[in-house]
Amino acid sequence: MEKARALWVIYLSLLFAALCQLVPLTMEWRVFRPTVIDLVLIYWILALPHRVGVATAFCVGVLLDGLEGSPLGLSSPGLMLSSLVVLFNYQRIRQFDGLQQMVVVFLLLALSLGIEQWLRTGVDIPTLPLGVLSGLLMSALLWLPVRNGLRHLRRYYEVY
Amino acid sequence: MLIALSLAALFLFRDHPALATVQRSAVDTAASLSRMVLAPVDAWGRLVQAFSTRAELQQEVLRLEQENLVLKGKSQRLASLLAENARYKALLNSARDIDDDLIAAQITALSPDPSRHIVLLDKGALDGVAEGQAVLGADGLIGQVIRVGDRNSRAVLITDSAHALPVQVNRSGLRAIAEGVGALDRLLLRHLPATTDIRTGDLLVTSGLGGRFPHGYPVARVTEVKVTEGDAFAQVTAAPSAALDRGRFVLIVVDDSPSEPLSE
Repeated sequence: MEKARALWVIYLSLLFAALCQLVPLTMEWRVFRPTVIDLVLIYWILALPHRVGVATAFCVGVLLDGLEGSPLGLSSPGLMLSSLVVLFNYQRIRQFDGLQQMVVVFLLLALSLGIEQWLRTGVDIPTLPLGVLSGLLMSALLWLPVRNGLRHLRRYYEVY
Repeated sequence: MLIALSLAALFLFRDHPALATVQRSAVDTAASLSRMVLAPVDAWGRLVQAFSTRAELQQEVLRLEQENLVLKGKSQRLASLLAENARYKALLNSARDIDDDLIAAQITALSPDPSRHIVLLDKGALDGVAEGQAVLGADGLIGQVIRVGDRNSRAVLITDSAHALPVQVNRSGLRAIAEGVGALDRLLLRHLPATTDIRTGDLLVTSGLGGRFPHGYPVARVTEVKVTEGDAFAQVTAAPSAALDRGRFVLIVVDDSPSEPLSE
């Protein structure tokens, strides 16, 4: 395995995406918020599956829970599961064209959200309203800009 | 294994003291991060303020002074009424109302979780805030503090779908539970018999039962009483008195005396 290079780009982009999660929106508009941090995570797993994986997904989940004030461990399992799916299929997903990738991203996010929803009923806190599906749609639409931007970053800084 | 770890954290150690410190620092971290996000907006606001003219500021001061005078006048009457009320209560041999201390705080952010009505406040344990304290707006009860950091805290609004509080109809003294349903303009009063004396427009105040909320703060006004023939219970909805989605300033009720035990 080669030596890692410029890993800070990965962590900085994740942190920046976490800040996007905190951009203030009004009560009713919060459901439309795209989960940029999940997109960034998926991108880095696709690009560098030997550097970013389930452990990073776990940390991202913990970070998200801390920011939202929900019980720790609520979003990690779903994120880890969908990142596992990406890890098993990254070579295939890389070959897809933009639209296909958007569909895949939508399904991946839906998977992690489904798991989270399931856990929410388990620990007895309010489940997400159906409107979050539109948030997923927003995320899927944002996939291409996020992917292209991060790809540019990765090539510029030669992250490996 | 990590999945097992997070599931364990979720189900087994949710209220473990070790995690509590993590959660506590999470409140502060989240608050400072969201302040970072808001920094450009704040800077813009300050810039605009810096350029507002002296005349405008003077007008503002004048308006506030007048408002202050009016409020002071009202509170003078309040003091005498409180004293009078205390005398009557003494005559009736009932418990004395406690004069609550208030901390002014500011709402700094909303939780990003779209299913919850949780806000971040800019006062924390170092300012005397503790879990369970009631949060008031200008027009009524807003919610209660659920998690405290050193300098910040989280409060859940009364409309959160995991929140319910004991209330009392101001007119008749009827007790009920007002549940949040996750909508900002609606509370639900469950399990009131269809024959109950409750009408549209009734004011609901905190009843003080349960020992968490102090007695007598306005909560909501009844907006609809629906009685379906044959049903045992009426469907009663109410609208919160406080404008939950407006205004930044709130008051946290600090009451250092232990809550009165529920006798009888």
